[in-house]
Amino acid sequence: MSTRDLVLCALFAAIIVALGILPPITLGFIPVPITAQSLGVMMAGVVLGARRGTVAVLIVLVLVAIGLPVLSGGRGGLAAFAAPTSGFLMGWVLAAFTTGYLSERLVNADQNATMQAIGFFLAAMIGGIVVLYACGISYLALVGGLGFSKAFFGSMAFIPGDVIKAFVAALVGRAVMAGYPLLPARR
Amino acid sequence: MQSLFIEGSSLMHRLSARAKLLILAALGVLLFVTTNIAVLATAVLLTAAVYFTLGLPFKAAFARLKPILLTIVVVALFSLAFNPWHQAVVALLRLTALMLFAAGVTATTTITAFIDEVTALARPLERTGLVRADDIGLAVGLVVRFVPEILSRYQAIREAHAARGLKVRPTTILVPLLILTLRDADNIAAAIDARGIRRHVI
Repeated sequence: MSTRDLVLCALFAAIIVALGILPPITLGFIPVPITAQSLGVMMAGVVLGARRGTVAVLIVLVLVAIGLPVLSGGRGGLAAFAAPTSGFLMGWVLAAFTTGYLSERLVNADQNATMQAIGFFLAAMIGGIVVLYACGISYLALVGGLGFSKAFFGSMAFIPGDVIKAFVAALVGRAVMAGYPLLPARR
Repeated sequence: MQSLFIEGSSLMHRLSARAKLLILAALGVLLFVTTNIAVLATAVLLTAAVYFTLGLPFKAAFARLKPILLTIVVVALFSLAFNPWHQAVVALLRLTALMLFAAGVTATTTITAFIDEVTALARPLERTGLVRADDIGLAVGLVVRFVPEILSRYQAIREAHAARGLKVRPTTILVPLLILTLRDADNIAAAIDARGIRRHVI
């Protein structure tokens, strides 16, 4: 990994941490504030691609594990990995990887803006929702002693907010791609 | 950024970071093989005794765990509503004990000691060419250095919005924030290489 890539990953990790500290931003049309760091995880994949996006998220998890209060609400430390919902935290790694991988495949610079936004949206939906919830729900079902169907229905309440986040991540990914492209070129 | 470490001289403080992490890992395995409520309740009492005698005032010690404890209780209540009560109690006790000990390890281990452990753990991975162990410490340092930078940048972008009478929306604020931050990467990378901090990269 080149020094530039390492720095990009660290800077993105810092952005994910900052997203947990920033006051919530409200969307104009829906009264849902956007604070959650899962938006940062989707953006890491969309902006940096699979490999660097994954490393950025891994750095955040290392920061959590070594006892810095980097999760939203000042949570942190090893105890953050001992909650029934920790599967969603650990699933960030796979979510960022999937989002990044799909972004690299689905989006390229030659497409028009709408196609790019749709590609990023699909990548963020599949990575940040399908893959993330698969990890989170399995962990909740096994460790929380809930069983799969109950864990599944309990988690559904958070889907609408995450769809909005995928949408925001897609628009941001599109705009960053136009303004300052970082996504690795498709081979 | 303030770390969650607490000064002190308890037994937990004197144990090495590695020993504590090994105990935590073993505890994780042990707590999940038993479903005996008496054993699990004893584990909760013991770990609570360890955690609450670290030298942190009770109120502050409890405040740290509140968000995690809340999710554990919510999930246990949810489980209680649909599953046999035994299962809910087991999950509740298991996770509480694990959380208490993990919080104890976090409160008694310095960031430096942790980074040393993570680096040691990553050494064998170096041979696969996936990761350079020394880069982990560098990355952690960079993040800690840059979080305040990003927060002040966010403030500046908000003020620019206000000055122009614009509404703050996620896309209008996140895009400049990302671009301004990531644009620094080249300069920082050049500075790191100029100082020869990553010697293995030529």
